[in-house]
Amino acid sequence: MKALAFALALTAAGTLPVAAAEQVAKSPPSAPYEQVSKLVKLPDFIPGIGQLFVDPKTLPAGPFLAYDHDGALVSTIYMIPLKDLNPDKHFDDLAAPGGNVDHVSIYYNAGHPGVETPHTHIVLWHVSAKDEARVAK
Amino acid sequence: MLQAGGGFLAAFGLLRLPALASDVVDIRMHGNADGAHVWFDPIGLRIQPGQTVRWTNGDAGNSHTATAYHPSLFDRPRRIPTKARPWDSDYLLPNETFSVTLTVPGIYDFYCIPHEHAGMVGRIVVGDPAENDWDLAMPQNPESEGALPQIALDNFPAVDEIMKKGIVRRA
Repeated sequence: MKALAFALALTAAGTLPVAAAEQVAKSPPSAPYEQVSKLVKLPDFIPGIGQLFVDPKTLPAGPFLAYDHDGALVSTIYMIPLKDLNPDKHFDDLAAPGGNVDHVSIYYNAGHPGVETPHTHIVLWHVSAKDEARVAK
Repeated sequence: MLQAGGGFLAAFGLLRLPALASDVVDIRMHGNADGAHVWFDPIGLRIQPGQTVRWTNGDAGNSHTATAYHPSLFDRPRRIPTKARPWDSDYLLPNETFSVTLTVPGIYDFYCIPHEHAGMVGRIVVGDPAENDWDLAMPQNPESEGALPQIALDNFPAVDEIMKKGIVRRA
């Protein structure tokens, strides 16, 4: 019986992330994600990032889900205000529904509607570095 | 001061006499590819009373505002002449414009709401201090200095430089 329970637990652990990834693989992702350009006044497709969706309750950190022009998920982005990078602030258990990560980019952003102070973009790319070009323009 | 949002002046040109090209002076909003750097161009401008300033968002990846420092706008300190009307463009998407006509001589400081903490500010000098009774010199409201991020204070071009050059661009 214990062996069966262990096997079921392993199965669940293996399939839940896959299921989550399938739910967000194509634009638009299901609720609670919402299109960022309908939440705040930002271009719908941001060169270098793509079309963004976020669960508003998770602002400012996200995750933000970014899609290319064909509606395919290309990255998961966390936006961490610089002022929150201090000894008294933690960002724990942030969701990561996008599945496999090919590589990661981290860079400074001066701000934009939705996250109006300088912050860090932590980008989990689900595509190769070469395929970042899909959201370049 | 006449204030208008993007396209408003063009649609309701009856609000002002036909303008000569030199009556409208442009300031563009810029950002680099990854959004790390944002700025007004120029950051310092000298105009004459009655000239119109037009802001255009030239940043394909971001939204910007041109917002006067004034208590009536987000409870910010006043950094425009006492008798001048403050303005806020609201967020401008790429290629959107916003215009104001400044008639009261003096010094006008403005900023971009989401980018003030990244130092995106600008300064317009209207008129000539030698010919006008300005409610002068910056800071017009010294106690306000602490209410602005240091990077914003550092980025205002000096009035003397604006008076000398007419247009001051980001270093």
